Amino acid sequence: MGRTKQVSAIARQDRIGLLYVAPFFVHFLLFGAIPIVFTTFLAFFNADMDLYYEFMDTFDPGVLGNAFIGFDNFRELGTDPYFWLALKNTFSIWAISTIPQLIVAFGIASLLANPNLRASVFWRTLLMVPNITSVLAVAIVFQQIFDRDFGMVNTLLHYLGRGPVEWTNETMPSHVAISMMIDWRWLGYNSLIFLAAILAIPKELYESASLDGASRWQVTRFVTIPQLRNTITFMVVMGTIGGLGLFVEPLIYGGSYDGGANNQFLTMTLYLYKNAFLNMRLGYGAAIGVGITVVVILVSIVNFLITRRIASEDSK
Amino acid sequence: MARRHIVATVVGSALALGALVAAPTQAAPKVTLQVWGFGNVFEPKIVMKYGMIKGNKSWETQQQALIKKKQLKVLNPNVTLVISGGGSQPDAAYFKLSAALPGNAAPDVAAVEMAYMGQTRVKSTANQFIDLNTKGANTIKGEYLPFRYQQGLSANGKQIGIPTDVGGLAVAYRTDLFKKAGFKSDRASVAKLWPTWEKFIATGKKFQAKSSAAFIDSSGNMFQAILNQGTSKYSNPKTKKYDYVRAGSGFKSFAISNPAVKRAFKLTADAGCTSRKNGKCSGSIGTKIPQYNTGWGAAIEKNAFATVLAPAWALDYITQFAPKTRGKWDVAAAPGVGGNLGGSMLTIPKKADNIDAAWKFIKWYLAPAQQLDTFKQYKLFPTTYKLYKQPAIKNYKDRFFNNAPLGVIYANSAIKLKPILAGPLDRAIDNQYGAALSRVSFGNQTKAGCGAKAQTTEAAWCQAISDIGRLGLSGK
Repeated sequence: MGRTKQVSAIARQDRIGLLYVAPFFVHFLLFGAIPIVFTTFLAFFNADMDLYYEFMDTFDPGVLGNAFIGFDNFRELGTDPYFWLALKNTFSIWAISTIPQLIVAFGIASLLANPNLRASVFWRTLLMVPNITSVLAVAIVFQQIFDRDFGMVNTLLHYLGRGPVEWTNETMPSHVAISMMIDWRWLGYNSLIFLAAILAIPKELYESASLDGASRWQVTRFVTIPQLRNTITFMVVMGTIGGLGLFVEPLIYGGSYDGGANNQFLTMTLYLYKNAFLNMRLGYGAAIGVGITVVVILVSIVNFLITRRIASEDSK
Repeated sequence: MARRHIVATVVGSALALGALVAAPTQAAPKVTLQVWGFGNVFEPKIVMKYGMIKGNKSWETQQQALIKKKQLKVLNPNVTLVISGGGSQPDAAYFKLSAALPGNAAPDVAAVEMAYMGQTRVKSTANQFIDLNTKGANTIKGEYLPFRYQQGLSANGKQIGIPTDVGGLAVAYRTDLFKKAGFKSDRASVAKLWPTWEKFIATGKKFQAKSSAAFIDSSGNMFQAILNQGTSKYSNPKTKKYDYVRAGSGFKSFAISNPAVKRAFKLTADAGCTSRKNGKCSGSIGTKIPQYNTGWGAAIEKNAFATVLAPAWALDYITQFAPKTRGKWDVAAAPGVGGNLGGSMLTIPKKADNIDAAWKFIKWYLAPAQQLDTFKQYKLFPTTYKLYKQPAIKNYKDRFFNNAPLGVIYANSAIKLKPILAGPLDRAIDNQYGAALSRVSFGNQTKAGCGAKAQTTEAAWCQAISDIGRLGLSGK
């Protein structure tokens, strides 16, 4: 008797819980799931804007029927060198921006964690400023900093006796410049997350380490970093999500949907956008979208495997 | 064309504004017009005469201040103009419009850049707009330059747009730098240096041998300028299509076989790469500075280049970005015959809420009187070509440009142009050729192709062709 009562109480609680999470799922359905299904559907058509308008005007299924091309878009995607180039560029920019960023953010967080630091609230607030600045403004400023002829960076290099670096026209320099833009915006944010995690590490661990006569480096290596494993995983996952969707920065930086004349910083989402809207190939753009989804799923699986390994190491 | 809006402070000439006679205002019904533009299609000092501005704080404040000072009497106080998109890029503006067209969010007035008219005039897309002939566009047709007016005609015979300004084309050049290099600097002698584009390039090379400045700001601009002087671009004027056919591993199309396109490509590539070192391009008659931004302005003030291929609207950019070079400029006729870069159309989407009020606004904004006013204040050259004979244009001179008779120069370049058929993918094709030309001059054509080595013009052309093959020209 008592047991069933308990169960039904839990069930009721569950129902209330469902109500609480419902807004998220409704939102996800409308703006996440339905567009994904629609995009996948669209990827099987040779559709442009004109076809879309014709269908919206007539609602004639024959209009769609004539444009059905089966797996042609996917076949094309598989052999499209620009998609693979965009994939390569996206990962390259992601790696160049994320790895140094995590190291520097950790350094900044360690400095801020120092209890003797003065005006710590001021420093912490300052770190968030880049993050709330508009991406557009950031991109325009960076475009000027890395300007080939009159930019700050090349002017400095000139005084150091180095020739101008082609910050937009060459592959690696352009990836570095775009990464700097991303890092500038996200460094402070990630530093604060590190800081919160560092401050949450139990003091006893440090005390026992100092009793054991551990050096500063040993404390960092064997106490702080292992305690931050989950935080690092979280930041890598967030960085990957942001990195795979990289769009505004390369768009403004290059001023076109090509990602540079030689597509040297063409990213996956930029390529999707260029095909769907500039080239008016909605169907092919949708196929690229599906391609990106597959990449994201693969990356997520890798992330999941790594996270699980780290979690199990923790429980050892 | 990137036509960024330059924030201009309103120092309203009391005379011009005070002379306005307001129409007697009866209790007219209140109307709010959603007006979507980009760049500087809608100029603040002109539109604020028509109705009450809303949604743009700085324009609103300017208008209120002028009304308070009694320097402005708004013609239609019952009309509210919500103008958005000012300063944005034409691409982004078009994408936004094309998504909004079939829904209820469509604006009342929408500006479409010339490069996108080819797509807009296709049948089902054109059906998303009001046929302005049903509103009486026929009666004003004669006012506009025929080649610009025709760009607003859809494939199924509807007039979906009325032209705003015409770019025209001339060469703005620095008299001081020309003199220093030992060249004659009066505009008649200068124009004689370049009757053709070949001569223009040759003059550039000669100039650079004697000057530390580059000859032109951006040689890549030549491609569109040369093409626009012709009678066809990417679509075959006879079949009205790109004539795409698969052939072996490649394809055939008018867009890649048109001799005019090949010629423009070759000339622009020659200008962009005048000498080579180890196969890589090492010299050009132009700089690598992107146009119309602060870096460009700084370059002008540092004497980095001596000429600019300038549509009328670009003169305003020179004035705004490099004010210190006042009086050092002059303007001469462009190479070839006539010329144009840029320009847009005003349209009314079918789903607009206030079609009649929108039409009234377009008719007013693009009428000769307002186009003249816009030219005087912002140097956007009128498409209402009967104005060209009037003294206001004929005698128009500008001190910034050494009193060059801008009115006559731009009128001459605009009236010589013939209509060119625009196809739905012109903007995308432009983009591929443009990228190929910058790969040549920037020395990053890393792919070899068609039997030609990397870095060559032939390899860049070859890659452009294969990229154009991916655009889906088939059937269009």
